[in-house]
Amino acid sequence: MALRYEYTVETEDLAKYYKMGAYIVKALDGVNLKIRRGEYVSIMGPSGAGKTTLFNMIGGLDRPTRGKVYIDEVDISKLDAYELAWLRARKIGYIFQTFNLIPVLTALENVMLPMIFAGVRREERIRKARELLERVGLGDRLYHRPTELSGGQQQRVAIARALANDPAIILADEPTGNLDLQTGLEIINLLRQLNKERGVTIVTATHDLKMIDVSDRIVYLRDGRVERIETRAEIAVEAEEY
Amino acid sequence: MASVEVGEVRLPLSEAIYISLQNVRRRFARVAITTASVTLGIAFFVSLMMMASFQAQVGGAGVQPYMYWLLFISLLVCGVGITNSMLIAVAERYKEIGTYKCLGALDRHILEMFLIEAILVGGIGGLAGYVIGLVAAVIYAVANPSVGLQGALAALVKPNPAVPLAGALPVAVGLFVLGVGIAVLLSLIATIYPAYYAARLNPAEALRYEI
Ligand SMILES: Nc1ncnc2c1ncn2[C@@H]1O[C@H](COP(=O)(O)OP(=O)(O)O)[C@@H](O)[C@H]1O
Ligand SMILES: [Mg+2]
Repeated sequence: MALRYEYTVETEDLAKYYKMGAYIVKALDGVNLKIRRGEYVSIMGPSGAGKTTLFNMIGGLDRPTRGKVYIDEVDISKLDAYELAWLRARKIGYIFQTFNLIPVLTALENVMLPMIFAGVRREERIRKARELLERVGLGDRLYHRPTELSGGQQQRVAIARALANDPAIILADEPTGNLDLQTGLEIINLLRQLNKERGVTIVTATHDLKMIDVSDRIVYLRDGRVERIETRAEIAVEAEEY
Repeated sequence: MASVEVGEVRLPLSEAIYISLQNVRRRFARVAITTASVTLGIAFFVSLMMMASFQAQVGGAGVQPYMYWLLFISLLVCGVGITNSMLIAVAERYKEIGTYKCLGALDRHILEMFLIEAILVGGIGGLAGYVIGLVAAVIYAVANPSVGLQGALAALVKPNPAVPLAGALPVAVGLFVLGVGIAVLLSLIATIYPAYYAARLNPAEALRYEI
């Protein structure tokens, strides 16, 4: 990596409104966030708080109504379709509640997919995909298709896929939402380990308090606004009080 | 503020073909529905042309002008069937399309994947349609004493100038080339709109979609 940026993600007065007939839904309404390189940040908020909308904006999947998003100090509203595709392929790894693996491809092929778009050579793609699947504990499931894997295993494949191009940031939208508590905790701990070991910035959305004690910071989102932000120290104090 | 040094984003044709092939193999039930539309259209086309050629062989009426109109309409109906079926295939894959875009796919990569699938569907449907059409025509010949198996075989190896575009080739070969060719072309044309629609999907919207 040539340049090291202090902030991987910055949002400035970020807003997204949806018109629903005569109403306007303010999914996001003036969000200012700065996420440091290497941080693990949880976005907490009830359903409808705007977590997915925030991820769509940060991930370059949709355009904001107002405000700006900077990824590694680049204003992504200035990017054209080609540059955005490149950003999604190289800078951002996505993890979803529903795993979203490509059903007709094997685990190995799913992990190789982002590297195809990034123009990585075939031998290197295979080597790296294997290595990542081994890292997430699926070295013996390389040729299984998503339907032949459990939810937890599918999410591990998705994590390996998100890491394929060594992104600056991983956006995980309720990654444990479809998993039982134990499997969910395993996934969260894996994400935390990868965050420490690779220095990849991780932002994860959740509405489950049990999933946040690995976080460096917690951003509480409600009705499209940041309600408050807690740091690691404060989380530890709270945990002791219980 | 920093600016990006954008590298390339690509989907080599070989990879696009591989993914489309997997889609055809793994989603066989869905693909079979789309293919059925092509198969029926081509079977009708091939059998009608063959039966007319058999008639001509034994001094009958041969290809009548109204048949072209009939064939045109039947292929049109078949094309609409493909479009309809492909639109459903796109709707079923909203989330997948959104995911491809997250992984770096450009609009044209999505377009490419669906068009390659259309070529495969057209090819398979055309082949199946030809075989069914041929079998139907031969059954017709055998059941019809004025033609008979002999008459049918004689007609199949002889060119019939009344067959459009491929009139110089022996009927069996000409209709094979024409049948599969029309099937692929028809499938491609009928898939342009669904594929374009899929390619233009906004990834955030596509991912929101719950099936
Ligand atoms: N495409 C859309 N059209 C209309 N309203 C939307 C759309 N996407 C999100 N919303 C609305 O925006 C609000 C925030 O949604 P979302 O970001 O999905 O919340 P969360 O992920 O925290 O549950 C909700 O009220 C939701 O109904
Ligand atoms: Mg959500």
